[in-house]
Amino acid sequence: MSKAIEVNNISKAFGSNVILDQLNFQLNPGDKLSIVGPSGSGKTTLLRILAGLDHPSSGTIKLGEKDVTHLDARTRKVGLVFQQPLLFPHMTVEENIDYGARLTGTFSREKTSDLLTAINLTETRTQFPSELSGGQQQRVALARALATEPEILLLDEPFSSLDPGMRQELRYWVRDLLDERGITSIFVTHDREEAMLMGDTIGVFYNGGFQQLASAETILQSPANPFVVQFFDNHLLIDQDHYVPLNKISFSSQATGARVMKAVLLQTSVANGERVAHVYVEELDKRLSLRLPFPHDGGSLDIFIPANHIYSFDSSRGAGRYE
Amino acid sequence: MKYKILFYIIAGLLFVSPVFVLLLQSITTPWRFQTAQEMNVQLKSFAVLWSDPNLWTATIGSIVIGAFVLLFNFLIGITAGKALALYSFKGRTLMEALLLAPLLIPVLAVAMGLHLLMIRIGLADTWIGVTLVHLVPTVPYSIKIFHHAYSQLGKPMIEQAQILGASERKQFLTVELPLLKNAIRSVTFLTIVISLSQYAITAIIGGGSVVTLPMVFFPFLDTANPSIMAAFSVWFAAPPLLMYILIEGLLSLLPYSQTPWRNRA
Repeated sequence: MSKAIEVNNISKAFGSNVILDQLNFQLNPGDKLSIVGPSGSGKTTLLRILAGLDHPSSGTIKLGEKDVTHLDARTRKVGLVFQQPLLFPHMTVEENIDYGARLTGTFSREKTSDLLTAINLTETRTQFPSELSGGQQQRVALARALATEPEILLLDEPFSSLDPGMRQELRYWVRDLLDERGITSIFVTHDREEAMLMGDTIGVFYNGGFQQLASAETILQSPANPFVVQFFDNHLLIDQDHYVPLNKISFSSQATGARVMKAVLLQTSVANGERVAHVYVEELDKRLSLRLPFPHDGGSLDIFIPANHIYSFDSSRGAGRYE
Repeated sequence: MKYKILFYIIAGLLFVSPVFVLLLQSITTPWRFQTAQEMNVQLKSFAVLWSDPNLWTATIGSIVIGAFVLLFNFLIGITAGKALALYSFKGRTLMEALLLAPLLIPVLAVAMGLHLLMIRIGLADTWIGVTLVHLVPTVPYSIKIFHHAYSQLGKPMIEQAQILGASERKQFLTVELPLLKNAIRSVTFLTIVISLSQYAITAIIGGGSVVTLPMVFFPFLDTANPSIMAAFSVWFAAPPLLMYILIEGLLSLLPYSQTPWRNRA
């Protein structure tokens, strides 16, 4: 079976500034990839190249069997939902959804009705975008992209302009819609939680390439390098070769051979029904957030790092080799 | 609601009432407040106006020249405005300054130089020459207006149309033009009014062979008869209005125009 998308050795540079460096990945039909990385790392450039709005300096992109590297955005069968809904303000909701479908010859009234039902906006079909809320507009933008029946759907931080409540609601809703319809998608975000919700595979993007391309579980169990550890905040980076899962660090000694470090309690808060201590570990010059089992007024604390849970990047799980 | 009423009061005072007074004056004898004169309805002022043998030639000449000036303004304004707003290229700021430069130099000075050029290329004393010289005081404004309109429209909106599969022509007709309507309206009024008001440069380049409304209008300034002046002003206001109605009609033919027959809930 051919891949939905195959990206081979894609590079992009603006002058001496390398944005993408020999990037490779491929997705099977129906796969969902989240690309997450810090702002300005080149995620959007990658998406624009995949959509055909920018062209790579070198490398090839295949959609199915077809090499689309040099094809214009107009002729690629790719859908793109931007950060802003970018609905055409002079068209009604229905006309917006139909616009691309009519141009690509995939228009049918049934499909439009089906999409309007899917986005729960059937009643707004004759309204103009300015009459809709931000979340509704983004749903219409998604329906408009899906109406063209793209081979792959690209989403560039589509929820970033929404308020947190609406954002959370739309995340689940969009993910369900993509799953139901078996749509191959690439979702770009700088939000780690969003990346995990929207993709089965997560590409941690930095420095022109993927630092790790794996499932959320793998990233949690075996982060590939110090960048991944620092970006996801699931572990404490002890040095450039070693890390320890945060859930293994405690404020009381439970095992022999634990490494003890001095920490200063900066603040306490509550999250997911648990007390959380925000501490500063001077030895590592790092701030951490750890579950605090008992109330504490402030000042110094000892944190205990069990030696058998200190892992090195090149070792497999369960083989702590920290000396 | 309060602001709406305030808007109507201000608009009524500053725009509607002067036009009403002008229309009234054009069909009445001169009248002054507290002079015990009666306001008598008359059409003599229009009779004087229509008695001018050049009136129709000048009116049609002004409309034709105005229409072509408008067409060139659309062509140059939309292309240059789009390039300045959406594309990044070396020397863009310089290019923008150069395109706006004609506004900084007195039009008469430009017209003198252009007159020599027109004579050399055989366009002096022709309506084409006059049309071209009318571009000098109008094109910079059009470029500025379309530049602003395209900046507001934004590159992402155009890219969205591309992603959805629109060809360049389709994208221009279905997305760009409908969203440029307000700019098109502004350019229409501004261009026609500026073109219609040019006396000196039309006289220099037209050499008297090309007759436009101001050339007929100016001799009437000596009459000091407010009724005749009002009648001429009403006549003068008609071409821009006609052109505006024509353009508005054309704009309503654009795809996705908001017309009464469009399906609304």
